[in-house]
Amino acid sequence: MVDFVQNTLDGFFIGSSYALLAIGFTLIFGVMRRLNLSYGPSIMLGVFAGTMIYIQLEAGLVFVACATVLGAVLAGIYVERICFWAVGRGAVLASMVSSFAIWMQLEELVTIFFPERTYAFPPLGDFSLEFGPFFIRGAHLVMFLCAAVLTVLLHLLLYKTRFGLALRAVSENPLAAKFMGINTGLVVFSAFALASAIGGVAGFLIASADQQITPLFGLWATFKGLIAMTLGGMGSIPGAIAGGLLLGIIEAQSTWYLGAEYRDLVAYFVLFAFLVFRPGGLFGQRLATQNRLSMQRV
Amino acid sequence: MDFYYGLLQIIGMHTILGLSAYIVLLTGQVTLAQAGFFAIGAYIAGMLTVLAGWHLVPSMLVAAVVSGTVACLVGFPALRIKGLMLVVATMAFGEAVRLFWFNFDYQRSKGEALVGPLGGEGFKQIRYFPENGWTTGEVATFVWIWVALIMAALWWIDRSRAGAVLRAVGEDELAAQSVGINLTAVKVTAFAVGGFIAGIGGAIYAHYTTHIEHSNFGVILATFAIAYPILGGLTNVVGTLLAVIFIQGFLVEGLRFLGDWRNLLFGALIVLAMNVRPRGLIDERAMLFLRRMFGLAKRGTNA
Repeated sequence: MVDFVQNTLDGFFIGSSYALLAIGFTLIFGVMRRLNLSYGPSIMLGVFAGTMIYIQLEAGLVFVACATVLGAVLAGIYVERICFWAVGRGAVLASMVSSFAIWMQLEELVTIFFPERTYAFPPLGDFSLEFGPFFIRGAHLVMFLCAAVLTVLLHLLLYKTRFGLALRAVSENPLAAKFMGINTGLVVFSAFALASAIGGVAGFLIASADQQITPLFGLWATFKGLIAMTLGGMGSIPGAIAGGLLLGIIEAQSTWYLGAEYRDLVAYFVLFAFLVFRPGGLFGQRLATQNRLSMQRV
Repeated sequence: MDFYYGLLQIIGMHTILGLSAYIVLLTGQVTLAQAGFFAIGAYIAGMLTVLAGWHLVPSMLVAAVVSGTVACLVGFPALRIKGLMLVVATMAFGEAVRLFWFNFDYQRSKGEALVGPLGGEGFKQIRYFPENGWTTGEVATFVWIWVALIMAALWWIDRSRAGAVLRAVGEDELAAQSVGINLTAVKVTAFAVGGFIAGIGGAIYAHYTTHIEHSNFGVILATFAIAYPILGGLTNVVGTLLAVIFIQGFLVEGLRFLGDWRNLLFGALIVLAMNVRPRGLIDERAMLFLRRMFGLAKRGTNA
């Protein structure tokens, strides 16, 4: 029982970073109804920008965080312009294939400038808490707190500002939003930049908890974000949070009870089962059944 | 000369992979599971020739039937969902297959050495071609006989009633359903045929490389599989072949002199191609132009 609770705690804290990745994914999916495979690689570019100023300039944690977010946003804007803005609305598949091609580009760029297998990243919260038989890593606690604060801020932005209203209108019905005088192109662009910034924060938190990064981070982040988003329900922000936490807990439990080599297998199996039996995920059922856009053919 | 034979073999195998996704795409379903079926074909055929000592062709067919059956079984639940959700579901399935082989050990002693798939280390020593004294030229011919067979079969399907049914489902499911087409049957059949073709491709791939491991069959390969028909256009099987030649022949081999910078240009060129021709290299208009050129369609007909 103690093990089970401890695993759940670990999974919960790691899951908070998956939740951030999933929020970014879901924002992009919500306003565009398209899949951005380059999401993880653009975060990776930001993380490598962070590690570069850490190694070369020995910059402090705040500067590394800023560089990470900035790098991720710039890379995200590049992806948006090339794969989504330029390809045009109707062509969902063309966008997906293009974002895949840009993924290869970004990964190549990183491996050219960072040929080693792993690079150091500044640690965050080098302490740990113990209460009773349970144990929490400081880095995980910081990760969770940052994710929680960011989620609250995002909620305020989406539900208390005019920009948030515009964003929700576009994601509900782009055409109607356009007729109401909303500059949809600008909203989509800002949503993309916002998602990349959130992804950048997630990347920074994950990299500093691991204290190292590899060029495989891009693939990893895309997968985790995609799985967490789908588990929670595509296009739903509460769903993304729940999906991220659920994914973290599933991974922690399956690592403990079945072994690390089965962790991803279990995660994919759960994802597949969810998609087949409850395509809307935890929170997106209304979206999946009523809003035809999410089931639209691609 | 061996280099060109090798290139021909690679293009042939990737064409088979692309064609396996082509038939599924015809019904309007986007699948990222093809790498998984490719892996099933590769491992099963490898085990049959290496461990059971079978001839290559029957083991290829058995491998293809197995992966086609798996596709059929997965197709029933998976094809209830559509659109981007299906993309994610098939990706999950493909990755699950990859991780299954990552955890799969089955070794037997053959002579002095242990052979067979060994989890993360992969499946080494699938030496059917060298053991039986096949030259690279013969292997290339063998690959292209299969490519020709599959392309001819798909071409024939396309021109028959079955092709019309597939395209009807791909264009408008509601309209297809209302003229009495059984959507589930059509989609699952297309998926199973796609799995079968991918199994053949995987079986050839295993014997071509002689060493397969789970990381060969990741989501990158799956994305390539759908990128070929999308880039080539869904009007005709030839489009897929052209796209494979464009990507594998020109972008991968032709740009090799660029070294590390190749992928940068690679990405840019694919994006450019998708921008200039969002419906594929050989789209309806290009097809009409070609038909007019060869006198198969009169001027003034519409695509």
